Amino acid sequence: MSDLPTLVGAEWLKLRTTRLLHGTLPTAVAISAAGVAGAVVSADDAGSLTSARQVRDVLAWTGSGALVVLVAGIVLAAGEHRHGTVVDTYLTTPRRGRVVAAKLAVGAVLGLLVGLVTAAGSVAVAGAAYAARDATFPLGDGEVWASLAGTLAYTTLFAVLGVGLGSLVRNQVTAVTAALAWVAVVEHIFIALASGLGRWLPFEAGQAIVRTPLDHLLSPLAGTAVLALYAAAFALVGARTTATRDI
Amino acid sequence: MIEIRDLTKSYGGHTAVDRLSFTAPPGKVTGFLGPNGAGKTTTFRCLLGLARPSAGTALIGGRPYRDLAAPRRTVGAVLESSGFHPSRSGRDHLRVVARAAGLDAAGIGAALELVGLAGAADRRVGGWSLGMRQRLGIAAALLGDPAVLVLDEPSNGLDPEGVHWVRQVLRRWADDGRTVMVASHQLAEIAQVVDRVVIIRDGRLGAETDIADLPAARVTVRVDRTEPLLGALGAAGVDHELLADGAIAVADRAPDEVGALAARAGVTVTELGRSRTGEALEALFLDLTGGNGR
Repeated sequence: MSDLPTLVGAEWLKLRTTRLLHGTLPTAVAISAAGVAGAVVSADDAGSLTSARQVRDVLAWTGSGALVVLVAGIVLAAGEHRHGTVVDTYLTTPRRGRVVAAKLAVGAVLGLLVGLVTAAGSVAVAGAAYAARDATFPLGDGEVWASLAGTLAYTTLFAVLGVGLGSLVRNQVTAVTAALAWVAVVEHIFIALASGLGRWLPFEAGQAIVRTPLDHLLSPLAGTAVLALYAAAFALVGARTTATRDI
Repeated sequence: MIEIRDLTKSYGGHTAVDRLSFTAPPGKVTGFLGPNGAGKTTTFRCLLGLARPSAGTALIGGRPYRDLAAPRRTVGAVLESSGFHPSRSGRDHLRVVARAAGLDAAGIGAALELVGLAGAADRRVGGWSLGMRQRLGIAAALLGDPAVLVLDEPSNGLDPEGVHWVRQVLRRWADDGRTVMVASHQLAEIAQVVDRVVIIRDGRLGAETDIADLPAARVTVRVDRTEPLLGALGAAGVDHELLADGAIAVADRAPDEVGALAARAGVTVTELGRSRTGEALEALFLDLTGGNGR
């Protein structure tokens, strides 16, 4: 049976030979760029645009790409059930844990790639938007690089979490709907009712990682640790479930 | 060699496969026959590591599928539940299989050529007909040049020319000394090509036999007056049966012997012939599957 690097190569080939990769990258860039531009344009006072808080507020939008890779990660795993390709996949690699491991690796690479591309896109858009308001984007500022580094961690971990979730819930539509509903609705309810509890949830942890200036969030480092735990938990449960169930 | 031993697979309270045992030896096309829902696909899923048996074993070359060192080089399988990503091309589907299995990508062109898809291979599978997808599935199965071929209803969606082509593939593969097992709910599709049949119904084994071992073909005779011949056959102790259409079926006697008996009985033979193996197989199949297998 093939070794893990070979399987990672095969999973990457799967990703490249559908429209998933070509859809994920531009969508992530467009969403995060729109958020960054909107934040700059809607800032009340052009004079305070270069303040640390404002820079963090603007660049936190770069992390929007995480939602796109979350969906892409789910599709990477659950999509095989949707189209029936999972049969050929498991006939080739009956040790299914290896397939999940390879998918997790490809998810991480995809998340990192999306993080890099959206970060570059955000810097370019922010530079242009700042200039339009007669301000200079503080590219040399440590805040900027801390936020962008956070974006890479956020998108990478969310992509891994998506693969784990898609391995656990093999109905792609259900998994995507549940994930987006969780982010858009459930966590907000938690925040509204008990923000002390809410900050430990995955999306809020992600907001902490990209240094969104909100008071209830964890520190970036703690957020990273919490999100990494979620990603690892979903990856493990997804792999275990996948290994034993009937196809 | 495929060996199924006391295989049982239950889902909740429903037993889909019930203490099933049979073997499919190399060098033969083994037909796996039974009505829809008899448990053929479940058996294959257990055999191929896609479902866990509740009890018993399903082995390929003495090992469970999950323990095969190189599954794609050992077994080629086409299952009804397998599918293709609609936006991936046929060639890319095979590239993915070859890559994951560590197979030489050079074989992809030959496999596409073999199944007659060379011209369409670079188009997205989403626009393909059922028959083309079936051919692509067979190409994926043959890609690893496997010693064992397992096919579930391979003729589905194929036109008559395609069905004929599948039969040729099965024959060639078996004549090459490989193990070929093909499931079908339609006897007519595979009757011409099988060397051996395993017939199941309600998850249980109905029959397992080589075609060569089927009950000797019977001789059918028509005469102007049946009574004297029936009397002569009875007196000679020959196993026989008066068929509904007035013909008499005679077991264990050659046509010339039956003709001689008729002459001695003083009746005139109007028709004399030997029934074919296919008819014996069909009789067995209909008998075991309650006649609803067609």
